[in-house]
Amino acid sequence: MEIRPILSALSRNKTGAFLIAAQIALTFAITINAAYVIRDRLATAARPSGVDDEDRVVAVRFAMTSSQNIDALQQRDVATLRGVPGVESVAITNQIPFGGGGWSGGFAVGNTRESPNVNAGMVFDNGDVLKTLGVKVIEGRYFTPDEIMVIDPDTSRDTPPVVLVTRELAKAMFPSGESVLGKTIYLGNTPDAPAVRIIGVIGLMETPWASVSAKHLYSVVFPQRLLQTENQYLLRLKPGALEQTKQAVLAALAKNDPDRVAGRDGLASIAKMRAKRYRGEHAVAGLLIAVTVFLLIVTASGIVGMASLWVNLRRKQIGVRRALGATRGDIVRYFVTENLLITGTGVVAGVIAAQLLNAALVRQMTLPQLPWPGLAFGVVALIVLGVGSVLGPAVRASRLSPALATRSV
Amino acid sequence: MLKMEGVQKIYRTDLVQTHALRSLSLEVEEGEFVAVTGPSGSGKTTFLNIAGLLETFDGGRYTLDGKDVSGLSDRERSKIRNVKIGFIFQSFNLIPDLNVYDNVDVPLRYRGLGGGDRDKRIKDALERVGLASRLKHLPSQLSGGQQQRVAIARALAGSPRILFADEPTGNLDSLMAREVMNMLEEINVQGTTIVMVTHDPELARRMHRNIHIMDGQASDFDHGSDSRSDAPVDRIAPRIVASV
Ligand SMILES: Nc1ncnc2c1ncn2[C@@H]1O[C@H](COP(=O)(O)OP(=O)(O)O)[C@@H](O)[C@H]1O
Ligand SMILES: [Mg+2]
Repeated sequence: MEIRPILSALSRNKTGAFLIAAQIALTFAITINAAYVIRDRLATAARPSGVDDEDRVVAVRFAMTSSQNIDALQQRDVATLRGVPGVESVAITNQIPFGGGGWSGGFAVGNTRESPNVNAGMVFDNGDVLKTLGVKVIEGRYFTPDEIMVIDPDTSRDTPPVVLVTRELAKAMFPSGESVLGKTIYLGNTPDAPAVRIIGVIGLMETPWASVSAKHLYSVVFPQRLLQTENQYLLRLKPGALEQTKQAVLAALAKNDPDRVAGRDGLASIAKMRAKRYRGEHAVAGLLIAVTVFLLIVTASGIVGMASLWVNLRRKQIGVRRALGATRGDIVRYFVTENLLITGTGVVAGVIAAQLLNAALVRQMTLPQLPWPGLAFGVVALIVLGVGSVLGPAVRASRLSPALATRSV
Repeated sequence: MLKMEGVQKIYRTDLVQTHALRSLSLEVEEGEFVAVTGPSGSGKTTFLNIAGLLETFDGGRYTLDGKDVSGLSDRERSKIRNVKIGFIFQSFNLIPDLNVYDNVDVPLRYRGLGGGDRDKRIKDALERVGLASRLKHLPSQLSGGQQQRVAIARALAGSPRILFADEPTGNLDSLMAREVMNMLEEINVQGTTIVMVTHDPELARRMHRNIHIMDGQASDFDHGSDSRSDAPVDRIAPRIVASV
């Protein structure tokens, strides 16, 4: 409505307006980038693991004493654990999603030096792992019982001849999109690398390290039970059975082998391990959220403070404007328009500053560039913040009496 | 044009109630130039604020331009102030950050007039007060008399039915005061009703009629048709006071 006179009035109060605009620009540049990092980290932490119910799948990790017959003990343990009330299935494996440590190897489509190596997790499945995790075969078939090999690493260097691969790994190794069923891949790209045949493809399955790159979903599942002293059992529990089952499971395991040393976590659900894995992401996001909220509060307070000051300095003028026919709405509009001009200038400068800051961040960290919809949302959000902050002082101004025009203040 | 019957105004603060107007009755006819006089604190400004719809009142009746204004909303009152009333204040009350042109423009913008219409009105009004050459000046670059003339132009630009002036010459030296008074008289001659508050008996003497307010009540004092003649000041002033 009356932009030109507001501008010319503003041009005579440049310092305050400039400070607020600069503050808004800075806030915009920092919060938009912070919001972007927050979103990035939270999205990482929320990635699905492929485990259908992370609260019900738990892992027990321990080291056995080597005097035991590992093969016999593993079978005894599985039988005992299946008998514990609340336990639905039991599997023996070498690694678990979010477990932290595990096996990985380079896989290649050919056994020559030219074949690129793709690093992937190696999951040893005793025949119960996928069922226990709730991970499904989406193409091809699962292992038959007689394909499951029992391998003692001290005496054997055997590799099972058939494997399952995750869909993401299949795509990475065979980008053309053809079916990978029946294809042979090699454990390494050397002439003596063992060859394995793909008989099935599974959907999502998180690796133990859950890295940030796309590789976190690359795994090869081998049909084998490894007779090693470091063991991990995976249990699938009935819903809500975790607390009541915990002691019974640990007691049963202790009874089968009193000398065994349970891992630090004892019995830990996948959900718990996920939380532990993404603690860093959540910490960064939390810190940045705190910084963002703090900045927004400071900026809003700055606007409220400046607007209140201006209302107080212009009490007489507001009364005069009211006397000359301004309605309360006109007065509110005046301050809101003035604020929009300042905020708008600040936000435009902020968009530029945000791009510069983002460019620096993209160079420092692995972050994609700011998306335009995010910027647009930020622009709208800050303008709403600005208008919201000025509304209080503006309404207070509109309640000033027109009689201020004749009463000296 | 303006008629008050038993109008009361009470200011309430936590500790005291001030009966600024006890029971004010008066009438101003269309085309009159009326002076409202009275000692300091007698309620002159209060009267002017109520008459100009800057404040509400607590009792009595007030009709402005044939319309009972007691029940109007804030919005309607703003509209009437904007369209029908012009104000001239003792301390000029120009907006310091706006130049002369934009100051005169203020009430016209609230009226929602088109740019061309506003431009013409602003220039005409400034022409009338002899300041057409100072459009871009800021109030701080003008003398007091010039500032008051800009304020008069601002009041005139909207072609009001009635002008209210509260001590319009109170902050001016006598030369400038005379200039402003001549201007107001000219405006009145051209048809605009003017109600002017003043405590200066010499000025009051020049008006058609004096309304003397004392302790929140009014008494009329008519100078008659020759009131603008050069009757000695000291003869008039005692009579006003004596008439209360
Ligand atoms: N806002 C207010 N609150 C309380 N008392 C007021 C207010 N405005 C004016 N008054 C009182 O009302 C009386 C009349 O004031 P005013 O109309 O300004 O007198 P005048 O203009 O004749 O000097 C005075 O006693 C003054 O102190
Ligand atoms: Mg007064």
